[in-house]
Amino acid sequence: MKVAYNWLKEFVDVTAPAEEIASRLALSGTNIAGIENGAHGTVIDAEVSSNRPDCLGMLGIAREISAIYQLPLKHIAPRPAESRSAKASDAVSVKIEAPELCGRFTARVVRGVKIQPSPTWLKNRLEAAGMASISNVVDISNYVLLELGHPLHTFDFDLLRNHSIVVRCAKAGEKLKTLDGIERSLDPGIPLVCDADGARAVGLGGIMGGGETEISFSTKNVLIECAWFDPVAIRRATRFLKLHTEASTRFGRGADPEMAETASRRCAELILQLAGGELLAGVVDVYPGKRAAKKITLTRAEFLRVMGADVPDKDLEAILSALGFAPVRVDDNRGAANSLLAAWECTQPSWRADVEREIDLVEEVARIYGLGNFPPRLPVARIAAARLPHHEAETRLRERLIGLGYHEAITIPHVAEERNDLFRPPDAQVAKLANPLSEEASVLKSTGFVTLAGAIEWNLNHGQRNVRLFEIGRQYRLVDGKPVETRVLTIGATGAAREQGLYDPAREYNFADLKGDLDAIGALSGGFRWEDGGPEWLNAAKRGTLRLGQEGNQPIGAAGLLAKRVADKFKFRQDVFLAELDLGPVYCMFYGVKNNRRYEPLPRLPGVERDFSVFLEDGKTFAEVKKAIEALGIPEVTSVAAADLFRGKNVPAGKYSLLVRVTFQSREATLTEAQINDFSGRIISALEKTLGASLRAR
Amino acid sequence: MPTVNNPTEKTLAELGAASREEVARLFAEVRTRFDSQIARPQDAHGWTILRVLWLGRKGVVTQITENWLKPAPLELKRVIGESLNSFKEHVEVVLADALAASEAGAEAALSAKDRVDLSLPGVIRPVGTHHLIRQVFQEIEDIFFSIGFSVVEGPEIETPYYNFEALNIPEFHPVRDDMDTFYLELPKGAPGPLLLRTHTSPVQIRTMEKRQPPVRVIVPGKVYRRDNPDATHSFMFHQIEGLAVDSDITFCDFTGTIDYFVKQFFGESVKTRFRPSYFPFTEPSVEFDVSCVFCGGSGTANSGGTCGKCKGSGWIELFGAGMVDPAVYGFVNYDPKKVSGFAFGIGIDRLAMLKYGIDDIQAFFQNDVRFLRQFP
Repeated sequence: MKVAYNWLKEFVDVTAPAEEIASRLALSGTNIAGIENGAHGTVIDAEVSSNRPDCLGMLGIAREISAIYQLPLKHIAPRPAESRSAKASDAVSVKIEAPELCGRFTARVVRGVKIQPSPTWLKNRLEAAGMASISNVVDISNYVLLELGHPLHTFDFDLLRNHSIVVRCAKAGEKLKTLDGIERSLDPGIPLVCDADGARAVGLGGIMGGGETEISFSTKNVLIECAWFDPVAIRRATRFLKLHTEASTRFGRGADPEMAETASRRCAELILQLAGGELLAGVVDVYPGKRAAKKITLTRAEFLRVMGADVPDKDLEAILSALGFAPVRVDDNRGAANSLLAAWECTQPSWRADVEREIDLVEEVARIYGLGNFPPRLPVARIAAARLPHHEAETRLRERLIGLGYHEAITIPHVAEERNDLFRPPDAQVAKLANPLSEEASVLKSTGFVTLAGAIEWNLNHGQRNVRLFEIGRQYRLVDGKPVETRVLTIGATGAAREQGLYDPAREYNFADLKGDLDAIGALSGGFRWEDGGPEWLNAAKRGTLRLGQEGNQPIGAAGLLAKRVADKFKFRQDVFLAELDLGPVYCMFYGVKNNRRYEPLPRLPGVERDFSVFLEDGKTFAEVKKAIEALGIPEVTSVAAADLFRGKNVPAGKYSLLVRVTFQSREATLTEAQINDFSGRIISALEKTLGASLRAR
Repeated sequence: MPTVNNPTEKTLAELGAASREEVARLFAEVRTRFDSQIARPQDAHGWTILRVLWLGRKGVVTQITENWLKPAPLELKRVIGESLNSFKEHVEVVLADALAASEAGAEAALSAKDRVDLSLPGVIRPVGTHHLIRQVFQEIEDIFFSIGFSVVEGPEIETPYYNFEALNIPEFHPVRDDMDTFYLELPKGAPGPLLLRTHTSPVQIRTMEKRQPPVRVIVPGKVYRRDNPDATHSFMFHQIEGLAVDSDITFCDFTGTIDYFVKQFFGESVKTRFRPSYFPFTEPSVEFDVSCVFCGGSGTANSGGTCGKCKGSGWIELFGAGMVDPAVYGFVNYDPKKVSGFAFGIGIDRLAMLKYGIDDIQAFFQNDVRFLRQFP
């Protein structure tokens, strides 16, 4: 809403400069987008919130200023000269068949007008408000709309068939060519203004007039429509038609039904002034929606309960009066000023459909009085504050990942369906958008893999080849039509595990890096069990599934090298490693493990290490070696570790060399050479027997 | 080196000294001998040998104690003792100083090739970073946690009831036009429409359904609006919702809480103001402004022109908030006559952009490691 300063002054004698007015308006609820000093003087650009249609006119803004500055508002009372012989009611009939859509319809008729360009002052005012000038009569209807905030429509009276207006619902399949030349298909529920006893649509009620009856330069007689349409009906209609106009904005937010007749009179007055002619006597006014003004009580007790600080009677009453609420003290303490028991009965003005409750009045008083006048204070907390249940687990996890060199990523979960499918387990039902912005963002990610692979792709495409990322986010899936959001950790890595530096050579990130990093975070939850297998989008030779807790527990995630088939889709030309974990069980185990953790006294005696270098057939795993040694049940064995692994020179084909380091430790006594030799002998024979291992050296 | 004819190896009687004067002369001679020895420059090893010779178990000081002091006649003991102490102190101080000076000199003399070049990097162990959005979330959570706000979360896929209706936004409400919404495509027969929440406010309703007042929570999370992406719009962004409901919460408590938060976050010098505004789920509703952190609220940029960040107004709009509209309590079976409260919804991405001068919201979600590393 563009508010010309000099126009505003016709309604309120304000002397403050425009900048100050703008600032005061902003601090009392009318947002100000800017102030322009143009050819037509100073114009304040006000952004009126959707609950205040009354401020979509000069009068409404002037009322705000009159309340802020406590200046009288100059009301408008147009008194156009009327014909002594001809009556409007003889010239036109109005019938409202859909009172739930149209609460009031007024019609006036002006005969013998001269349609011509508007005078300069009128053109200037419209231009300052951002509207184009068309002709005097059309401009006048727009002028009144801007002045009083109430939309009007003017018809070429002679083009209206039968001069019998009917307002009804549109019929299914009905069409209307509007003023803008577009033929529109209508929907039942859209209010229609029709002529010929309802046979022909001549206007979308409250939105836009029809093309067949519009004012032209040959128009002689004019019918002024000034009506009131139901806000919800108008919003439904504009949404269906995708058509928003100055009129639909005002009716859609709730225009003032009482203003319809006044605005019509004002329009007639200006037409007589600028286009001549004769106004038929009276008005045809059908008003099925007339309602008695609502009474609302405001008490000081409620004001204090909500606002926490007071406003004196004098200010409170002055504010409510200026805004049109006509406050009257109704409590028993009427004589006492600023009584804590004070109560005011207020009357809801017809232009303030948004004020219906006591709380609405509280806001009215507070916003004009000034929100800065309510002293800030910190409330006392009466209950203990709690973090999220998984706060500690997630914080520890995040810290550890960052320590391991991973940057935290945040991705947008909207992805292309084709991409999402690369990582989607066959049984996961995709959460698809009904109204996506694009194909590339048409579904919500079913896994974190897809968006983290996307983040790696971005980096590789921008020259960053060494990337380590993690994201703590959600998977979005449907299960039986119901949404399920699962918290997951996704890890992605590619490029150098260690970059070429002054002291060390470069080394590429490999599966062991991924496994080591995952085990470092797994330690927080008691350690992961790694097992063969995993989703088919991971390389079959370099992948694993992860479990927590006891053997046989459900897998909670997978890790590995991205399969070539999928890597090719992303055009990755280097190895990309990915892992994803379901965080629910990880957090659950974190607390379980933490609460059961107990101190283990440090051994007082030194441990003894023995290395066993064995040849093993390919396919035999370290886990089998470990299991074979542990199966011996030697209590002094405290650790079995893989110290070195070698294939190639001096190793028979089909075999590999593994250096197993076993630590012996007793809590009771220093181990003797004989004891250790005995343990070693048993280990060697176990490895030979159960695994077919051959001892290489010792 | 001590001479063979060392007087300290003999007793005073053997030296024929029986008077104070002769004792003084003997001490003077010893002192001269010491001073002449230490006058010659030594390396650290040389100083150690001298220390043994003079202060060691069989050194000169011990000899004087054994040969001069102990067998001396009573009348001379006092003067010998005093002279000995004075001499011993002199030897200790001089030797310690000389040794320290010698060590310092030795280090300085170390060859340049062994010296570290401090301008070279150490061994770089790459460390990751918290995402900036996460950092801002954490900072805000900590501030509100410190004044009694618990942290809760809620689903991102919501029903229209929680996202709109229960927040006093019925269908066809004009506010819905400002929150262009993503809807999910549901299989046939699935119950009700589902949408991506357009704000974190649905969690207000979910929280109040579960708890009775007093309620004091903040809700960090992702929200979605169907806006075409550009430098200031992303169809996913982050909010932190706040809600406090109790039997005695007033507007003054609300402004006090917000004021406290902003001063913690932006610093004590920041100025704040509340502008009346409109949201269907709060009343009175406000927009909250802070004095522009770029121009200090003057509206003039350092370069002299209009500050581009606040467009010369000196104020920056931060977020919307207000007292919870009594109509909302009706949806969660709270008695609007008995409770009151406030709610706010802070846009995190915008806040981070303001605080760190980031000019493109998309940068947050590209996850370029060069961007992430800038905020360790």
